[in-house]
Amino acid sequence: MVTVAPGTAGPKTTPPVRARRSRGIRPTRGYRVFQAVNGVVLTLVVIVTLYPFVNIVARSLSDEAPIIAGKVNLVPQGFNLTAYRLVMSDPMFWTNYRNTVVYTVVATAISIVLTTCYAYVLSKHQLRGRGVLVGIAVFTMFFSGGLIPNYVLITSLGMKNSIWAVVLPNAINVFNLLVMKAFFESLPVELEEAAAVDGLSTYGTLLRIVLPLSKAIIATMLLFYAVSFWNSWFTAFLYLDQQDLLPVTVYLRNLIAGATGAQSAGGVAESDAVQAAATIQAVTIVLTTLPILAVYPFIQRFFVSGVMLGAVKG
Amino acid sequence: MFHRTWRRVAIATAGLLTLTLVGACSDDAPEAKNLDGNRAGAMADYGIDKQFKASEPLSFSILYNNHPNYPLKDDWLFWSELTKRTNVKLAPVAVPLSDYEQKRSLLIGAGDAPLIMPKTYHPSENAFVSSGAILPVSDYLDLMPNLKDKIAKWNLQPEFDTLRQSDGKFYLLPGLHEKPWAEYSIAVRTDILQQLNLQIPKTWDELYTVLKAMKARYPDSYPYSDRWSKPNPGGELLSIVGAAHGLRTGWSWNPATWDPAAKKFVYTGATEQYKQVIVYLNKLVAEKLLDPESFTQTDEQARQKLANGKSFVIGSNAQSLVNDYRPDLAKTLPNAKLTKIPMLVGPAGEINPASRLENGIMISKKARDSKNFVAMMQFIDWLYYSDAGQEFAKWGVEGTTFTKDAGKYTLNPDVDMIGLNPKGSKHLQKDFGFGNGVFSYGGKLDLVQSFFSPEEMEFQKVMNARTPLPVDPPAPLTDEEREQASLWETPLKDHVVQNTLKFILGQRPLTEWDAYVGELKAKNADQYIGLVNKAHERFEKDNG
Repeated sequence: MVTVAPGTAGPKTTPPVRARRSRGIRPTRGYRVFQAVNGVVLTLVVIVTLYPFVNIVARSLSDEAPIIAGKVNLVPQGFNLTAYRLVMSDPMFWTNYRNTVVYTVVATAISIVLTTCYAYVLSKHQLRGRGVLVGIAVFTMFFSGGLIPNYVLITSLGMKNSIWAVVLPNAINVFNLLVMKAFFESLPVELEEAAAVDGLSTYGTLLRIVLPLSKAIIATMLLFYAVSFWNSWFTAFLYLDQQDLLPVTVYLRNLIAGATGAQSAGGVAESDAVQAAATIQAVTIVLTTLPILAVYPFIQRFFVSGVMLGAVKG
Repeated sequence: MFHRTWRRVAIATAGLLTLTLVGACSDDAPEAKNLDGNRAGAMADYGIDKQFKASEPLSFSILYNNHPNYPLKDDWLFWSELTKRTNVKLAPVAVPLSDYEQKRSLLIGAGDAPLIMPKTYHPSENAFVSSGAILPVSDYLDLMPNLKDKIAKWNLQPEFDTLRQSDGKFYLLPGLHEKPWAEYSIAVRTDILQQLNLQIPKTWDELYTVLKAMKARYPDSYPYSDRWSKPNPGGELLSIVGAAHGLRTGWSWNPATWDPAAKKFVYTGATEQYKQVIVYLNKLVAEKLLDPESFTQTDEQARQKLANGKSFVIGSNAQSLVNDYRPDLAKTLPNAKLTKIPMLVGPAGEINPASRLENGIMISKKARDSKNFVAMMQFIDWLYYSDAGQEFAKWGVEGTTFTKDAGKYTLNPDVDMIGLNPKGSKHLQKDFGFGNGVFSYGGKLDLVQSFFSPEEMEFQKVMNARTPLPVDPPAPLTDEEREQASLWETPLKDHVVQNTLKFILGQRPLTEWDAYVGELKAKNADQYIGLVNKAHERFEKDNG
């Protein structure tokens, strides 16, 4: 007997059961040692990863002099916002910023749709030629045409200097595809059978049963894709020749290179003299990272395990 | 039936193949000098000091190195005025400065390269020569009277010979300087010198004495802490110390050094002079006069030490002095005085190691087939090599951006550039597009120095009085040789860099120098030098 339990479609399930809910069972000594070590190690990891970021934020809010003197660590010294004003007053920064937002949204949407479709198909064991389809995807993980053939392809498709050159070529990430396929495979077959018995078509099953149950994986994919598109600069750099089409990552990269480029060139014309100040770099980094950081808390609530607990009885 | 079709296909294929082969062969021969079909838009009477103006409106694509400090704008006066004067419109393909080389390789590899590719640093053009994608410009110098004139007038032929490939041609149109322009030296806290009653050092040995006195007075400091340790450790430091010993080392690393006495090349990392460089630097480190971190720290760390008074000497060029150190010091130690001193003299005597060639332009081979080819070469000649073109690219339009009085250039009062008119509302680079590194470099001495501060002029005066370091004779390798040479060169260089550092920092005793030279031999240093010497002899034989 198979039933779909009510109330399992949404993420709002009961909070995960706490490990040390009662005083009943005392954790073993080994477990407590493990907990302590775990806590210490993870705290260290947090410090190591958080420190550079806090440092950059502090620098972005500081006066130039303390930065040069190496006095800025975690707290801004000589608080001022001139650098923010300076960066924000450059129209090219905002143009490129807007591009990044547009590219990220469009590319993520395309990627999610394509990856979900492909992964769902691949998760069906009864599909003939499934191995070939998986093989085609996996093949691209290990072999690629290389830079120049790709460039020639994109150019001859007429996508150079357009948004499509950025959002289409990397639409399906094979790693994400395989993760998603594995997730779909773990869904109980009985759920779909029940849906079919109740008269849903294939698409209906996907849209009404499978996808609502897959919010966790979709949120994960959304995050993976959004972050990677937000941070990516290489495809845009390859296929776009006009600076008002570039994403803000290329802008940032160029800004930093301009400030440190003097050494790599050896001899630099005096016209390349003016160097971007340390504060400006920090400000640009902060402004570029903030939005994608802000996405995490909103997506995090979908990372709940046990959505499917109790879905299948029998 | 089947057989006949099959045979037909075979014959057609064979025919095609033959055609391709014939086509391939015929490519080289008559290409030579027939430019009749390429003169559209060109001036028949173009010559030295003549304003180039195309006889019909033309447009050329150009690879544009987009600098973050003055991002490309379409409404720059530079573009409109250029079109007005020359009837040529440039179509820039904007590439961020950060990854310019990579994009250039990609575009050339994909056959999508713009016709004009500036900002190419020799020898990076070598990579494209064998593919046939770029033009052997030496075949077409006759189209460029200003360039030829400057080569003759400034006696630049030996420098140009160093650009030649094994076919005797060169593929790069370099920027030219009338006089070598030495940029890098060291900056010294003169207030400390005064306090210790010391003169500004003139030689590396005097610097040693000065550093020793500084250390005696400030035992907690490392008097000399240097920057620019990328891409290889101690890049700039080894470069200027090496130069004083007559070598190109550090970030101007040249593996083969010409030995004029023996009339052959020797491996730089194994020379006696190189040993002296290492011995000298080792002495500074051992006596704690030179910060051992000089070889690894970031520029910012070195700046911080200087700004905090933990060091008193640092590597410098004109810009870093004005843009980095002085503003830093003004904020932290307002009484400090820092001066860039003339390059210190070493065993090689009073020499000026700077080259008179700059980065330059590659031309796509496709341009040769264009009917506007001659016009394009004339245009490049005017913009990059004529006095008028260079002045235009650097200073702009007389009356609008600058005025010229008896050869002295002055910016218009509302135009700013490197802080000359801090109150100016417009910037020569950002708002007008002049003084742009893509179009403006090199030239006559007074043009090159027209932006220099009086202080920098003083420095240049001293440097220009010195003998230029003689140019090594050419030894161009063939493609195969180059491949083999780089297989040997890379591990050799790694070994030199690693051991240089070990010797200087005292991790390897200097008594092991002979062992080190033996290791270089084991890594094919002799074979490598043999190859270079063979190439040199071949070039001598072929080109007299």
